[in-house]
Amino acid sequence: MQELAGSIVILVGAFFLFSAGLGLLRMPDVFTRIQAGTKASTLGNILVLAGLGIYHPDWALKLLIVAYFVLMTNPLSSHALSRAAHAIGTPMAETTVADALREADEAAEENRA
Amino acid sequence: MTKRVFSLFAVLVFAVIFAGIVGGYSERRTLSPLAQHYLASVPQDLGAANIVTGILITYRGFDTLGEVAVLFMVAAGVGILLDGSPAPERQAREDRAPSELVENGARVILPIIFLFGAYVIMNGHLSAGGGFQGGAVVASGVMLLMLARPGAQLHHGFLSVTESLAGVVYVALGILGLWLADGFLDSHILPKGEFGTLVSAGAIPVISALLGIKVGAELSVVIDRFRR
Repeated sequence: MQELAGSIVILVGAFFLFSAGLGLLRMPDVFTRIQAGTKASTLGNILVLAGLGIYHPDWALKLLIVAYFVLMTNPLSSHALSRAAHAIGTPMAETTVADALREADEAAEENRA
Repeated sequence: MTKRVFSLFAVLVFAVIFAGIVGGYSERRTLSPLAQHYLASVPQDLGAANIVTGILITYRGFDTLGEVAVLFMVAAGVGILLDGSPAPERQAREDRAPSELVENGARVILPIIFLFGAYVIMNGHLSAGGGFQGGAVVASGVMLLMLARPGAQLHHGFLSVTESLAGVVYVALGILGLWLADGFLDSHILPKGEFGTLVSAGAIPVISALLGIKVGAELSVVIDRFRR
């Protein structure tokens, strides 16, 4: 029973990791790709770790530390990457309607002036 | 259209190749005599729980010294190529401040990264890891530090002195092995200790720590050179 539950959770995690890969292939520009990859792979990783935790309860503490590390680093690195992409003016998909970061930058610029 | 056909063709070719590999794979039931020899003699002779580190640092210690020398030359080469005044257009462009998230995130993660690096270095003889891997982990932490604080300056003089000292002590330990034990870089110059504890396996943890310091300092300098 425990093994079955763990396997199902791992399988669900693998599905999210697969959808992250699919998102990388199918999304139109850098920013949507990064967000597809990050969100889905963070959730997928954590589900895989949770499934392993159900499978081997004695690993739980180590897996929790790994999950904490993934939660801290994965969004952060994607954030830094997409900000750098934005800073060098990487083109966005034509359907993009809002650019909140540029507005924020402009507002900060005006405040300084 | 042709591009699609070509991609499909490439995928098919890979599928055939991998299917052949998977189909022809049969799991090895027994260890080869060489593997058996090392599996038996590393824990017994060297007292190291991690077979790979035992082989890497003692049995082929001279090779490892060569690898360290290669890394040293890489660092020196990068230093020669990139050590100059910053390119003019870089100088003119104002460096963007790091975002708040990166700055605060680095504060939380950096201690964990450095702790993990030290752990990997110190436990090289017990579990997966060792000087090279731990040094790379530490250097990745230094890289995060640079991203989070672009103004931070690495003290190159201190790092190169540390790194050279580690290298000198490493070679000195090797020569000590010639004198006190069976040959260059023999780890029997220190007592074997109790199997599986932190202080055990002769000189392996010491050499691992030296390697970690050396690799960490070298890679940090290399990363810092690319920043400018």
